[in-house]
Amino acid sequence: MKIELTSPIPGKIMKVLVGVGDAVNEDDEVMKIESMKMENPIYAPATGTIIAVCAKENNEVEVDDLLLVIEEAC
Amino acid sequence: MLEAFANGFSGLLAGFSHLQLTNVVMIVVGCTLLYLGIKKDFEPLLLVPIGFGCILVNIPLADLMEPHGFLRTIYDAGIMTELFPLLIFVGIGAMTDFSPVLENPVTLLLGAAGQFGIFLTLGLALALGFNEMDSVAIGVIGACDGPTAIYVTSQYAPHLLGAVSVAAYSYMSLVPIIQPPIMRALTTEKERIVVMKATRKSVSRTTRILFPVIITIIGGIIAPKGLPLLGTIMLGNLMRECGTVERLTKASANEIANVVTLLLGISIGATMDGKIFLQTQTLIVLALGFIAICLDTACGVLLGKVLYVTTKGKINPLIGAAGISAFPMSARVVMKEGQKYNKKNYLLMHAMGANAAGQIGSVIAAAVMLSVLKGMGII
Amino acid sequence: MDKWTFGVTMLVVGMGGTMLTLGIMSVIIALLKKVFPYKKEAEEKS
Repeated sequence: MKIELTSPIPGKIMKVLVGVGDAVNEDDEVMKIESMKMENPIYAPATGTIIAVCAKENNEVEVDDLLLVIEEAC
Repeated sequence: MLEAFANGFSGLLAGFSHLQLTNVVMIVVGCTLLYLGIKKDFEPLLLVPIGFGCILVNIPLADLMEPHGFLRTIYDAGIMTELFPLLIFVGIGAMTDFSPVLENPVTLLLGAAGQFGIFLTLGLALALGFNEMDSVAIGVIGACDGPTAIYVTSQYAPHLLGAVSVAAYSYMSLVPIIQPPIMRALTTEKERIVVMKATRKSVSRTTRILFPVIITIIGGIIAPKGLPLLGTIMLGNLMRECGTVERLTKASANEIANVVTLLLGISIGATMDGKIFLQTQTLIVLALGFIAICLDTACGVLLGKVLYVTTKGKINPLIGAAGISAFPMSARVVMKEGQKYNKKNYLLMHAMGANAAGQIGSVIAAAVMLSVLKGMGII
Repeated sequence: MDKWTFGVTMLVVGMGGTMLTLGIMSVIIALLKKVFPYKKEAEEKS
């Protein structure tokens, strides 16, 4: 099943720590978003493989913008 | 001839003979403040000038705080007239984004609860035998807001100014240590993991511009004695939001705020003369200030719990702790605590709302306090 | 006025007054948001 991670907070993408094809576990840190002058870790919503990364470093994001998609491992 | 030499030389030794134990202790205190500011990064912008001011004023025979001494001149011009804290407030208004409060106006109630420590501590100080005005000044440490504390104290209890402002500023930077245990003690696991989704932008420009104007008028009419505080912070915010006076906004948030912070810091340090500062009273003030901030946090979290119940579990009580005005430290603490219990919980925006509300709250609390005092005929 | 009266007055009127004032303000903001709702297109320009 595909699981979408959308941005929980408005801010700027500081760092994307994963790429397409990477395996992640639930609650692994996948990126950092700078919001209100604070670095916020963003964690994976599920265990599986990353199949798309929409977030680009230094881009501004709004709440609910799509960050990445995970194909959940069964 | 030889006698003239000896007399001249004695001028260089007089400082040593006039050095008293209190001076030495205060120079050590000043150095400690410098150490905290420089090495530990505790509010360096304030603790460095405060620490240095403290050292300066405790060097004997220099008379920097005597009439016409340069520190006395700065102090009389800026602190006695209330100008410095008010100018800082224009800067705070210009720096702070109040939109998280506007997104969720209920947070203003948390900003009110986060000030209850002021009044509880005031009562405690009275019970410990402080007189009315001293108790007011001690309570106001609970505003957790340097300029507010300085504004109130310099008017009504200037002899406590050093202790109160050092307490206000140093506890502000200790917020990340003071708050989490209280937050944990007062909430259940179930409450802490409540997820609050951030909302998409929903505040129009018109609202953001009208907000400072209307708040100033209403707040000013309710509590006129605090209008200088409320008016300056809202002026700064209006300049920020209207977008047509960018130069003034920048000047208030950077140049003016920086210059005033320097002058404010050094003149606060200058009030820390050993003879006045080294009294048991100071220690009690510092202890009460600590209690004030703990009570603020507790009241904020407790109101958060009330909101948790009334909204049927939609509000995470942790954000109540951000209702104090230590901005933005307190919001960060809440965000981190929330994530500890549920990694997919991003409370930041809501905590920022409560935190910005706490800034307004501390100003309103001080304003209400002064107006109540006025109403009772005490000031 | 004795200290006891003073303390209790500050506690009740102070806390109540702060809560009430901020409560009024939060109602005003909620009203403002109703009267001037956010419109995406209009805001993009500013």
